[in-house]
Amino acid sequence: MEEILVLARELIAPRLREWRESGGRVVGYSCVATPREIFDAGGILPYRIRALGKPERDHADAHLSRFNCGFCRACLQLALEGAYGFLDGLVETNGCDHLRGMFENWSGTATPRFFHYLKVPHVVSEESLEFFAEELELLREALSSHFQVDIGDAALAEAVRSTNLRREGMRRLFSLREMEHPALKGQEALAVLLLESSLPPGVFDGFLRELLEEVRGREITGYRARLLLAGSATDEPDLVREIEDLGGLVVTDAMCYGTRAFWKLPEVEGEPVHALAEAYLRHLLCPRMFDDYPSRLEFILQAAERARVDGAVLVYNKFCDLHGVENVRLRLDLEERGIPVLVLEKEYGSAADLGRIRTRVQAFLERIAGRRPSGKRSLSAGGV
Amino acid sequence: MPGKVRDTGDGLFHRVEELIEVAMLLPRNMSDQEVEGLLRFLPPDTSRSMRALLSPRFREVSLDFIGMVGGWIGEARRAREEGRKVVLVPFNFPPEVIYLFKNAVPLTSEVLTTLGVAVLEGQGERYWDYAMGLGIPDFLCSSSTIELGSVLTGRDFEPDIIVQSAPGACDANSKIHEFVSLHMGIPQVILEKPTETGPRGRELHRRYFLAFLRRLEEMIGEELDEGRMRRVLEEANRAAELYYELYDLRKFSPCPVPNIFSIFTYGTRFTRWGRPEGTEMMRRMVELSKRRLEAGEYPAPEEVARCMWLYIGYYFDFLGFFNWMEERGITYLNDILSLCQPRFVDTSSRESMLEGLAETCFEYPMTRQMGASSMSLAWIEDMCGFIRDLRADCAIYSGHHACKQTWSVINQVRREIMKRTGAPVLCLQGDSWIRRMTPTSVLQEEIQSFVDGVVRRRRARGGRGA
Repeated sequence: MEEILVLARELIAPRLREWRESGGRVVGYSCVATPREIFDAGGILPYRIRALGKPERDHADAHLSRFNCGFCRACLQLALEGAYGFLDGLVETNGCDHLRGMFENWSGTATPRFFHYLKVPHVVSEESLEFFAEELELLREALSSHFQVDIGDAALAEAVRSTNLRREGMRRLFSLREMEHPALKGQEALAVLLLESSLPPGVFDGFLRELLEEVRGREITGYRARLLLAGSATDEPDLVREIEDLGGLVVTDAMCYGTRAFWKLPEVEGEPVHALAEAYLRHLLCPRMFDDYPSRLEFILQAAERARVDGAVLVYNKFCDLHGVENVRLRLDLEERGIPVLVLEKEYGSAADLGRIRTRVQAFLERIAGRRPSGKRSLSAGGV
Repeated sequence: MPGKVRDTGDGLFHRVEELIEVAMLLPRNMSDQEVEGLLRFLPPDTSRSMRALLSPRFREVSLDFIGMVGGWIGEARRAREEGRKVVLVPFNFPPEVIYLFKNAVPLTSEVLTTLGVAVLEGQGERYWDYAMGLGIPDFLCSSSTIELGSVLTGRDFEPDIIVQSAPGACDANSKIHEFVSLHMGIPQVILEKPTETGPRGRELHRRYFLAFLRRLEEMIGEELDEGRMRRVLEEANRAAELYYELYDLRKFSPCPVPNIFSIFTYGTRFTRWGRPEGTEMMRRMVELSKRRLEAGEYPAPEEVARCMWLYIGYYFDFLGFFNWMEERGITYLNDILSLCQPRFVDTSSRESMLEGLAETCFEYPMTRQMGASSMSLAWIEDMCGFIRDLRADCAIYSGHHACKQTWSVINQVRREIMKRTGAPVLCLQGDSWIRRMTPTSVLQEEIQSFVDGVVRRRRARGGRGA
């Protein structure tokens, strides 16, 4: 686990570097609406763009503005600094207005060798599903043509099968957080997810097997409350660590750098591209989707129930319209069901913001502890 | 029994309606002294807006505008009393679509906000604050959140249906409308703008639009009637002809079209398009502008700057913005909203009308630019075209803080406009509907410095616009 925590803090892990040096191709993407199976089927590594809490964004601010989300600004900063020079290409999605701005500036300035725009509808309907399937076909064609690889249906079906196996493994691992005696911390889960979306599948599968073995029988102790973490793009290991250091163990989440990236995707059957379109669009548990709030609420409630949480922390990056508004409705709905909520607006990657966040989390934990019969959980022996 | 006859709450809708009802009683032949006397009776914020509107330069048209929006609001209230559906639409949705239905009327969130900011003492801040109190983030768009904040109080006029047409074009607008729908239990009907701008995107949008209309028919309980469609759209086409006449009048220098007519133009486009009241309003603006052209009237000794506003303007101080600029020879040529470039819809058949309306939605201001595959491309091309066509010698971006899309590409847009047209671009920053962020005095100072320090000097050197 220690190794994973260290590796997850690097944009490019040694095993990814090896893959790259041995001729493997890497294409960046950002949004969980991007079916990675299509890349896998062509032997291309889909790499999920991240900023890992990078606070600097001076270069990016010459293109974006301070009214844009810090996560997108930090990602663009990395691109402009050349940190993403190892990418062979980039796939844009219209995840949100900030992300669109980030990609538009990225593609216009850092000039990726391959650039493709995958347009994702905002509603689910017969028309939108048909369109999205066409979009996935266009993505398949673009990748095949640029990288001179064959992404046939058989390869795609195989990629779907192996990806689902990996997702099953991820579910097993993440479920270990939700147990009465959690075996995994939230910061560790985030680290695993960051590796899952940046390492060659075979390499990650090995890590995952070892991890599942390693954490079996482990028990996290010393926390004050079990928390659900939900909200906007949060790939900041330091933020989750801060919350956990204060005693709030993140036992489940509904983050896009979290369970939303893999939890709900069902087995796909039939013609693979159409099946992927259905699976990804129908289960895109993101507030960018309209007319689908009940599904998102239900997903969070199920997670809260499974993990028996004491409270929920709903985070959003400053200027994130989607999660900023969604969190208001979620707070009302969760509180109505007896789940205390802390809504935390944060400046992405800002160390200066941590003091304020710490105070608010501490106060929230005090509030939750006050509701519980014993402030601190009784700890079992053999804790970590 | 139809719904509530009239709420007694003090929501924005009712307060605006009551004040506008009073304003509609103003005689058309008031002398300047009488106007001055009247303004003394009004609370300061209301008085300042009325002073701008009742400027002798365009008083008659302002009174027409007040009458038009008063009629629009009153019609919504009466519709409720008569059991017809009141459909709340965002600004980026053509109201003529709702006028196709006999049993429905449109109310436009952003127009109500603007009216509230213009005529209410304290502007719309109390409703904004209410929304903030619920937890709505302060970076949301005041254009819709002020009016919707009023709906959220539960003490205002509630629509029967909410139309959402910003998914794909604006997250802030889409999310607040969705929130109000969920929070208040008001059904919503969604028209997405596909991010794909090419033929596939247009075809998808056409199918979305037809499905959207079917849903509206179900919710309103009425099937579209071809004859009524034709009448509404022929009326809209007449207004469009007048729109282009007004547009052409803006090409003259000094510009005979008063600055404030830009907001009157989209105030009309967003409320009464497809209705005779809208056409009449456009006609009145054209007539007055022509008279000014013939008489050579311009409020300043010379037109020192012809400004293209790349995005929107500021609406919390008409007097300190539109009138102030005009009196200093700074012409507000147009902005992205007044450049709505309405389409002429072919009314020969039901199908052609549906096609035309779908196209209108696809190309609606802001939807067309920010809802395109690239947020900057259409915006740059449109603005460069208008800058050349209207012979603008500078451009200004208002920098409304909530508009994350435009903020994320304004640097590209600014560079390209300067490169392609030679027009210098000033980037301001503020909230277009809330004075708390950047006060009028600061905006005026920045505009004046830009005009004096850049535009005038370029003219003197024989640069663009000289």
